[in-house]
Amino acid sequence: MSKSRGGRRIGSRIEGRTFAVLLVLPGLALLAAVVVYPLISAMTSAFFEQSLLYPGRTFVGLENIRDVLAGDFWQLLWQTMVFTVGTTILPFVVGFGLALALNTRIRGAKALRGIMLIPWLVPGVVVSFLWMWIFNANYGVLNAVLEGTGLIDEPQAWLAQPGTAMAAVVVAKTWQSFPWMMVMLLAGLQTVPPELHEAASVDGAGAVRRFRAVTLPHLRGIVGLVLLLEFIWNFQHFDIIYVLTGGGPAGTTQTFATAVYDTAFHGYDLGRAGALGLLWMVLLMVLVVVYIRFSEKGERA
Amino acid sequence: MSATDTAPPVAPAPPVLTARPRRRRRRSNVAAWIAVVVFGGFALLPVYWLLATSLTPRTEVFAYPPAIFPSSPTLDAYTALLENEQLFVYLRNSVVVSVVTAVLSVVVSACMAYSFSKYRYRGRRSLMYLVLASQMFPQALLLVTLYAVFSAYGLLNTYAALVLSFTTFTLPLCVWMLKGFFDTIPDELIEAARVDGSSPLRTFVSIVLPLAAPGLVAAGLFAFVRGWNDFIFALTLAGPEKQTLPPGLVNTFIGEASTAWPELMAASLVVSLPVAVAFIALQRFLVGGLTAGAVKG
Repeated sequence: MSKSRGGRRIGSRIEGRTFAVLLVLPGLALLAAVVVYPLISAMTSAFFEQSLLYPGRTFVGLENIRDVLAGDFWQLLWQTMVFTVGTTILPFVVGFGLALALNTRIRGAKALRGIMLIPWLVPGVVVSFLWMWIFNANYGVLNAVLEGTGLIDEPQAWLAQPGTAMAAVVVAKTWQSFPWMMVMLLAGLQTVPPELHEAASVDGAGAVRRFRAVTLPHLRGIVGLVLLLEFIWNFQHFDIIYVLTGGGPAGTTQTFATAVYDTAFHGYDLGRAGALGLLWMVLLMVLVVVYIRFSEKGERA
Repeated sequence: MSATDTAPPVAPAPPVLTARPRRRRRRSNVAAWIAVVVFGGFALLPVYWLLATSLTPRTEVFAYPPAIFPSSPTLDAYTALLENEQLFVYLRNSVVVSVVTAVLSVVVSACMAYSFSKYRYRGRRSLMYLVLASQMFPQALLLVTLYAVFSAYGLLNTYAALVLSFTTFTLPLCVWMLKGFFDTIPDELIEAARVDGSSPLRTFVSIVLPLAAPGLVAAGLFAFVRGWNDFIFALTLAGPEKQTLPPGLVNTFIGEASTAWPELMAASLVVSLPVAVAFIALQRFLVGGLTAGAVKG
């Protein structure tokens, strides 16, 4: 861009720091405006009584936080943990099972690896629509199959019963997340040197033994990483829960994400939303610190 | 480097010592097939049901038990979509927002990634951590204030609000991916350009960027998908005139007395297609990039 000779000389002088900083500025401005400022501001609103609809706010100290802790915080924490643990463990089981199966020399393994990724490519709302239809109380295919095989006596309203709604949401989210687990674990499995398996096999180790003695130790790093990342993501997941149940029935599928959203945009209570969000962030920060520790350890190893 | 990349492209090892008992291998194959059938069924039967329902006539869909194979498959659901004008508004919004997000994201993240890759200055590491950490913050919480911010600047219900938000959330992955590409470009090349009298900007635009072209395409496709799939931002920051397809489909189909399931499934399929196409184009980068990120942490 520097057309003149003078410009060129200046250009070479500003090379290094100034140019490097200029390059970072647009991204930094976006991060500041869209992430950093909103985050700090949302959390400070925890200490004010503030409405989404009216300007102005009054300082109330810890009142919001006390209210939340005395209110539904513990129920939300429990439900968020149930959702998060469920949507971390189940996709791991399915993803790991498929990764192990498709890492063998069975016919069509390569094509199947690609086909199994389909659920991952589907937008979150589509996942919700599809499972809403499968779980439908009156015409749903799940009821028909389970009734046909005699596993249930009468059709269930899976998404509208407090006893089954959370499980249904977890199943839908599992369907969306297992392919990512599968891809990561397959990549991990491919780093296991085949010679180790062969040596163990020559020494008379069976498949289970080889899995425990050879495969698992190799995968420890990647297993920890995918579980941790999936846990952090699910701890703040919103889309599928919100579309499938909207937090219902009777708030039994409400998590921190949907509760903060509802409090702010349907209850218009920014103080309460901020208080919930602040507590949520504290928990999340603990997870992120664990993640950073973990990945630093991985880097050193 | 990804595991698949590092696999040596040589002939397979000679099968000298592999006198494995045949029965054992057959047994583990059976286990593999059981896993494929059980978990694969969980993965793919819903996909079949999506497709089958979209081909079911409207009159047949409210039958219980449902027909597993639609007796008279029809494309009525798809043609019904074409008659819904509001869906085309959502479609246009989705295309505009996703394309602009893709372009803006490539520009912003390429600049950032180049700076991180080729320059050393104070605060660089903290900035890189900020970019990485930004994906860890819950969007439902950010929206609580973002709504007020965009409202104050008159940006509610505009494309700008959506594009700026989406672009920001693509930065962690796009910056990291592009930094990986820039890292492979030798410093000597940039130094040589400088000695030849090229300004830093010119070196970046006309020497470095063309070399990273595949990475730019991959980053752009990823950003497109991010904009295309988003639900919560478009739901909150935009009204029906500016909303994208995900919240648009919820508005159109959910909460009515009787949902038009064949149409909703048809629309779902159509909405998923661009993502699938982008993925097929991206596959090489994605699988490599994902595992590279994983190995590096």
